[in-house]
Amino acid sequence: MTSSMILAETTAEQIEERGKKPKRGERGPGKKSFTPFFLILPFLILSFVFAYLPLFGWVYSLYDYKPALGLSGSEFVGLQWFRLLVSSPTQLAQIGQVLVNTLAISFLGIATSILPLGFAVLLNEIRAKWFKNAVQTLTTLPNFISWVLVYMIAFSLFSTSGLVNDILMDGGLITAPIKFLDTDQHVWLTMTLWSVWKGLGWGAIIYLAAISGIDPSLYESARMDGAGRWQTIRYITIPQLMPTYLVLLLLSVANILNNGMEQYYVFQNAFNQKYIQVLDLYVYNIGMTGNSLSMATAIGMLKSLISVALLLTVNWIAKRVRGESLV
Amino acid sequence: MKLTRTTAAFAVAAVVTAGALASCSSGGGSEETPTSATGSETGAFPTSWDEEITIDVFAGLANYMGMQQGWFAKIVKDKFNMNLNIIAPNVAGGGDTLYNTRVAAGELGDLIVTDKGQKLDELIQGGLVGDMSEYYPLMENVGQFDTAMDNLNAESGGVYAFPTSVSHLMPTDASEGLNPTFGPFIRWDYYAEQGYPSLDTLEDLLPVLKQMQEDHPTGDNGQPTYGFSLFKDWDGNMMVTAKQPACFYGYDEIGFVLAKADGSDYQSILDSDSEYVRSLRLYFDANQMGLVDPESTTQNYDTLYSKFQNGQVLFAWWPWLAQTAYNTEDNMAAGKGFEIAPVDDMEVFSYGAEAYGGKQVFAIGSKAEDPERIAAFVDWLYSPEGAYANSAQTLGSAGPQGLTWDINDAGEPELTEFGNEVFLGGGATTPEEWGGGDYLDGVSALNTISVLPIDVDPNTGFPYSYTFWPSYQEATATPLSEDWSANMGDATSTMDYLSTNDKLLVAPGASFTIPTDSSEVETLRNQIKAIVIQYSWQMVFASDEAQFESLLKELQDTANGLGYEKVLETDMANAEMQNDARVAVTAAFQ
Repeated sequence: MTSSMILAETTAEQIEERGKKPKRGERGPGKKSFTPFFLILPFLILSFVFAYLPLFGWVYSLYDYKPALGLSGSEFVGLQWFRLLVSSPTQLAQIGQVLVNTLAISFLGIATSILPLGFAVLLNEIRAKWFKNAVQTLTTLPNFISWVLVYMIAFSLFSTSGLVNDILMDGGLITAPIKFLDTDQHVWLTMTLWSVWKGLGWGAIIYLAAISGIDPSLYESARMDGAGRWQTIRYITIPQLMPTYLVLLLLSVANILNNGMEQYYVFQNAFNQKYIQVLDLYVYNIGMTGNSLSMATAIGMLKSLISVALLLTVNWIAKRVRGESLV
Repeated sequence: MKLTRTTAAFAVAAVVTAGALASCSSGGGSEETPTSATGSETGAFPTSWDEEITIDVFAGLANYMGMQQGWFAKIVKDKFNMNLNIIAPNVAGGGDTLYNTRVAAGELGDLIVTDKGQKLDELIQGGLVGDMSEYYPLMENVGQFDTAMDNLNAESGGVYAFPTSVSHLMPTDASEGLNPTFGPFIRWDYYAEQGYPSLDTLEDLLPVLKQMQEDHPTGDNGQPTYGFSLFKDWDGNMMVTAKQPACFYGYDEIGFVLAKADGSDYQSILDSDSEYVRSLRLYFDANQMGLVDPESTTQNYDTLYSKFQNGQVLFAWWPWLAQTAYNTEDNMAAGKGFEIAPVDDMEVFSYGAEAYGGKQVFAIGSKAEDPERIAAFVDWLYSPEGAYANSAQTLGSAGPQGLTWDINDAGEPELTEFGNEVFLGGGATTPEEWGGGDYLDGVSALNTISVLPIDVDPNTGFPYSYTFWPSYQEATATPLSEDWSANMGDATSTMDYLSTNDKLLVAPGASFTIPTDSSEVETLRNQIKAIVIQYSWQMVFASDEAQFESLLKELQDTANGLGYEKVLETDMANAEMQNDARVAVTAAFQ
């Protein structure tokens, strides 16, 4: 959402600039045409409605919001929720753990974002068309399965009476069922693996598209020069895919705090709670499950604050390194 | 919300499955007035309604979402020309999400079943429920319970809500009927095999259960048996299954406090020597002995229930779980089934009949299009006809006269052939003139008791619940119940055994409503209870004693760090207020 908004805005700005220049020359600085303004108006409205209007919701964090009474009927409590958040070391430790989980899972996600690229490259090398299509369809399919169903699959495979444990037990390899799901071991890793399984094929699509866009003459001349398969992959395909990869990487860094909640919501239980609670899930658990909507808003604001801080940092680095800033 | 819902579910289910115990003599009188039970006098309410309407019912306890079906729908349609569209937050899931969104939109429903106390107060304050003062004089059936009505509406000054689970019983009478809500129920047939070993205290059950498991490693379906099978669906302030053993000793929860029914003791659940930690330790020991079902952590209530049906579980906290699931006609005839274990030092907690009604209320939405008709419908729920029909979801009351039961030649109520099929034969298809469909699909989806099934129908002189009828009890004596009775001093029912042996502690039904938490306490409470539940589960499945202790320590530290003291202070004060209310109601009704 956010990234597409940014794209839309950028495009709008470009359009605006293109439109302005000749007119400025014609009519002079005093007279401006409204046409360019109307052109960008839809995008302004969109970004206002979806990016700025919701910020009004922050006001809920200053109230003790009770849905039945409405905002006007609820008590104004000022910064009570924020004070509560920092009131004790245990509270801070809770939020600290949540942030660590969020960042850890996000970084693992970013680290594995190279996998779809590799997968696309390898897939591209398959010559049997039917096999390639079959593999691509089968790997893309999980993307369309909801997390609830993924959990169903996980449950029937990995619960204490699931398929895997049954096979291991029947085979005499273990005597007591292994707790795959209700354990606090390797939570970040297993969560990352599940999302890789779900997203691998889907993530590869964009690279496959990029591969088909690579100029065939590059391959032809390389082959004439005697390059083999590995060499064309290494010296042509991968370098050609890098720009796409970097753009996607940049976008995923921007989404570092948005690792969603559905996956963790369905997988959470008393045993893995400590490591699986990411920011979005924590906000949900406090607000919806715990029914403390105002407190949840206060915690939710934290996300925006951290995002802004991250953006400013990246901006500062970009300024230093490239001499131009992003914002 | 969740807590009250489950507690109510306990109460409902307990009342209702009382009948699973068979060889019990009747508690009802034998007054003979075999008049028609359709004597619902709707007073000055119109007797027929021209325009058909459909109302939205926000039913806080319903387990079914959609249009009311079957025979109950037919009765309501015939009487009020009205269809009930049931909106069930339990089905929708997500805690209070559905409630909050509907409330924020300004319209909860035309008819509302919700909790009294904070929720009701906010609905009144927010103008979401209507004042029915205009119609109340016409509501003769509700009018019979004016003590409860006055108490409920005293604060608001209008007629905004109608009490549930009302009765003519004394607050010091157990509300539960033949079976208590809680109790250590074990597989009696396996216990008999071991020669009825004596049980001084709850922990003595462990070796007995272990022996049972060794003698019978698999259930009726060939799957392994376990002493304890736990589930997490109803975890609220704490791990629900770990609270239950505290109830065997007369305690019930109020926030993070375990309060004894007679006001003699209040415990913080997190104290190392609390009944709650004792239960956790019990399960931990059981788990070390291989007595705890490893699927406990992931299964839900439905799975657990089917395990009971298959005889895979040897112990239960509730008769309405174990006996409903396993004490079928066939099993009991074969001498198999669950009965209460004679634990020497137990003092089972029992809910007294709520003098001023249960935790839920009926209320009518302020934007309801035809409040008069809905008021007439609510009033009908409190009539004998309504009581028979409405409280039937969990098979408590007998259902409509003429369908499931009728007056026999002796002038006593008796289940019809159809009724026998429904209640003893596992269900039946309703005749077309009663709306058709499966009988169980046609029961009132409100799942909210208007009049307690244990209350006596003035027309028959017997309770609304068929399990009290002599005809039913004669028909259902079994080898299991006879063996149990013979070993329990010829007790006629679990309740009879408990009260005769001084093992019952009735908490007077003061209809106490817990005061609203301050917003800060509420938030802290919600954070802490998540931690309590999380650690409790980990403790039960701890790998050794040392880990158990260190987890307990960690739990205490984390909870204290989050502000447990502050919440506990509130709960202690509430517990004492609750006790004052109990003392007061006992005095008031003496």
